[in-house]
Amino acid sequence: MARKAQLGLAAALALTAWACGGDPDARAGLSVPVTYDSLDNGLRVVLSEDHTAPTATVALYYDVGFRVEPEGRTGFAHLFEHMMFQGSENLGPMEFVRMVQENGGVLNGSTRHDFTNYYEIVPAHTLERILWAEADRMRGLRITEDRLANQRDVVKNEVRVNVLNQPYGGFPWLDLPQVAFENWHNAHNFYGDFTDLDAATLEDVQAFFDRYYAPNNAVLVVVGDFESERTMEWIRDYFGDIPRGPATERPDVSEPRQEAEKRETRTDPLANRPAVALGYRMPERGSADYWAMGLLDQILLQGDDAWLHQALVQRRGLTGSVSGGVNAQLGNLYNSGGPTLWTASLIHDPGVSTDSIVAVVDSVVERARTDLVDPETLERARTKARSALYDEIDAFFGFGLADLLASFALFDDDPARVNEIDATFQDVTAEQLQRTAREYLRPTNRTILTLEPESTSEGGSR
Amino acid sequence: MRPRRRALLALGIGLLAVPSVAPAQDGDAPPPLGEPRPFDLPETERFTLENGLTVTLVPYGRTPKATVRLVLPTGNVDEAADEIWLADLTGDLVQEGTTSRDAEEVATEAAAMGGSLSLGVGTDRTSVGGDVLQEFAPDMVRLIADVVRNPDLPASELDRLKDDRIRRLSVSTRQPGTLTRAEFLERLYPDHPYGRMLPTTAMIEGLSHDRVRTFWERHYGPDGAHLYIAGRFDADAVRDAAGDAFEDWTAEGDQAAPTASAADAADIVFVERPDASQSTLHLGLPVVDPSHEDYVALQVTNALLGGSFASRITGNIREDKGYTYSPQSSVSSRYRTAYWVQTADVTSDVTGPALEEIFHEIERLRSEPPPEEELDGIRNYLAGLFVLQNSSRGGIVGQLSFLDLHGLTESYLTGYVDRVHAVTPEEVQRIARTYFRPDDMLLVVTGDPEVALPQLRSFGTVEVVEPAAP
Repeated sequence: MARKAQLGLAAALALTAWACGGDPDARAGLSVPVTYDSLDNGLRVVLSEDHTAPTATVALYYDVGFRVEPEGRTGFAHLFEHMMFQGSENLGPMEFVRMVQENGGVLNGSTRHDFTNYYEIVPAHTLERILWAEADRMRGLRITEDRLANQRDVVKNEVRVNVLNQPYGGFPWLDLPQVAFENWHNAHNFYGDFTDLDAATLEDVQAFFDRYYAPNNAVLVVVGDFESERTMEWIRDYFGDIPRGPATERPDVSEPRQEAEKRETRTDPLANRPAVALGYRMPERGSADYWAMGLLDQILLQGDDAWLHQALVQRRGLTGSVSGGVNAQLGNLYNSGGPTLWTASLIHDPGVSTDSIVAVVDSVVERARTDLVDPETLERARTKARSALYDEIDAFFGFGLADLLASFALFDDDPARVNEIDATFQDVTAEQLQRTAREYLRPTNRTILTLEPESTSEGGSR
Repeated sequence: MRPRRRALLALGIGLLAVPSVAPAQDGDAPPPLGEPRPFDLPETERFTLENGLTVTLVPYGRTPKATVRLVLPTGNVDEAADEIWLADLTGDLVQEGTTSRDAEEVATEAAAMGGSLSLGVGTDRTSVGGDVLQEFAPDMVRLIADVVRNPDLPASELDRLKDDRIRRLSVSTRQPGTLTRAEFLERLYPDHPYGRMLPTTAMIEGLSHDRVRTFWERHYGPDGAHLYIAGRFDADAVRDAAGDAFEDWTAEGDQAAPTASAADAADIVFVERPDASQSTLHLGLPVVDPSHEDYVALQVTNALLGGSFASRITGNIREDKGYTYSPQSSVSSRYRTAYWVQTADVTSDVTGPALEEIFHEIERLRSEPPPEEELDGIRNYLAGLFVLQNSSRGGIVGQLSFLDLHGLTESYLTGYVDRVHAVTPEEVQRIARTYFRPDDMLLVVTGDPEVALPQLRSFGTVEVVEPAAP
């Protein structure tokens, strides 16, 4: 019997013997509860109870990301994300952050191609207050010029610490899409040119808020230890009277079919070893080819059994590791609306040419295009995909599940699809994999980005 | 080297300060809180084999996966001064297959369980294992046992693995954070493996197969090793697998590493990085380790000063001044030693002002106790974090192995939240005065010699060094 202390969050540890372990049934599955509803103002709401720990995750996803920011305002979607912490009707600058923290929670926000999210992971008994606070900043911002100036400086320092003062800082996540895509919306510098960040005004902030930060352009997800009915009442109470925003016209973000391989070389003055990245354009989200690419990723790239690891690392020693995947470094297979890339990248030694690495990649990828994948490899890919999905679900105390639910609500209007992913992978055949590989792993569907160090001298100042 | 997965374009887990939660005038007050819900640490089952290996089982969660991890009491701490990264290279070679399975077979078997077997070398501990689907937990136990007990250690693979290490070293020496930390640790622990973070290329080239084999023979053994299984699994099958796979493991251990004592190195060191747009700062000094009675109060004080988003230093140099994106202070523990450090990457032209503000916040906390309300927020924050730290398979294993490393009993965990809540404003001030002594702090700055260096002169004598060369 565990002791319970009288505390905000009581803790007790019992080192007693216990009887039952996990379910011994082979191939246990996982089905998460999903409630999907919407308010009259268009706010979509997803609830998923999980009473494992007395915590709750609130995740508010707005249907706006890098892709739709206006020309002349690169980086604005992300700069705007920072503004959401700088004051709303009832909370002054950073009071939102302080409220979450002093109630025992953590929080963050992030900007991606197709959404901007805000999330809090908090003790369950503080949930109502957090919902109130999220509703407060959806209702309206109160931003001053000095707050904008401050966060512009913070964001510039973010770009410096992650990109400008780091070797391989923008490689390949920031650089590759700029080369691989044709459409400006997919191919601009989404961290932001400093001149564009400097040009951003309070009017831009207000206009962006009015256009995109409205209930009919958002999905609210709550995961964790709560009662759904009561939580839905709170959501109606706090969000229900926020007025609907204008219908947002979307820019065309489509890409033409790629017909020729692209190659580009960029110089990184801070790096001292060359690197190469290959990016293949992904099929349309949710298509049979899309899911097949999910399994091809497992076969070719994920884990030490993957063909590229075996060929490049284990057998030839060209690099210590190959990284990448679908929507790599910014997300996963599930949380992009597309267009997106499947990428593989590595750092190698001077004296090894890009061509020689591409030749090894080709020898592996061509196998997937020429031969049917054997049944054992296919089954292993499905197992890895299922296991990786469970890791996404468990990631970061409920946030991972919230991210999946929000993505399937935003992109497919069907958050319960999270429970069908495993079955979808089971249905992918070897013939499908081959068809997908033939179309999407074509050399003419890819971009090869080479990173050259400014000099290959070792260490010291340049 | 594998590019680090970053939390990109995020607000930043550093986080903020300022008093008063009063709502804006005429505004709505936030709704009241509900009734706090009890949190019980997950129950554990523990047994020790005759050879000294301990097994801990923690049934947890609803996801059908298990974390299976063997933690060995060895790491970089067991390296001599001329063999830095020998522990890492040994770990690399251990993963190159066993006497009955080659490397690809090990990888393929682990993948078929829905996982991958990885080996990570830290300063004090080496961890081998992975996360697998629940039905494969016993198989993972057996695979780990084969890898650590019967590695083939193929000499044919050693040169390739050394090349990988040299490449990784080469990349590391261009990262400002790595350079700064290496210099900081070298000054803090001048005569101990804790101070030796980066080798040289020549050192790696000189590591022979014999040395790797000897390191494995000496340091991979059952005595002091700990096998953790957390998540969902068949307990009977896992218990049996652990016994079968490990009970006949014997090894002549030689596992006592020298205990470190950190040096008070009140110096200012500047590492040259021409044209750097930011200065990378490490400011800190030795503090007490987790076995000391002040440790929890020290954590509370750290969270208030610079160790959380709502901390004073973050509020000052990020949210007020905009000098930096992700400032952070932390207490970093080794066996029987620890250090406190404030880190930040600040715009080069405000290197001096940023340091002034950091010292100002330290002095302010030393000179007056924090308001009760501010401290209450920090106490709640740490209590909430504690729940999160114990609410995932990996977190639970991390907490339990932390106890193990530092020789703490479970009462550290069961009493933690009580101790956090017992910390008073006066105690925070005492901790700040006792441990955050500006005159004794070591400052390492990596940055542009033309812009940043002149700004450091007013803080004292600056020793200028070239960055570590591989």
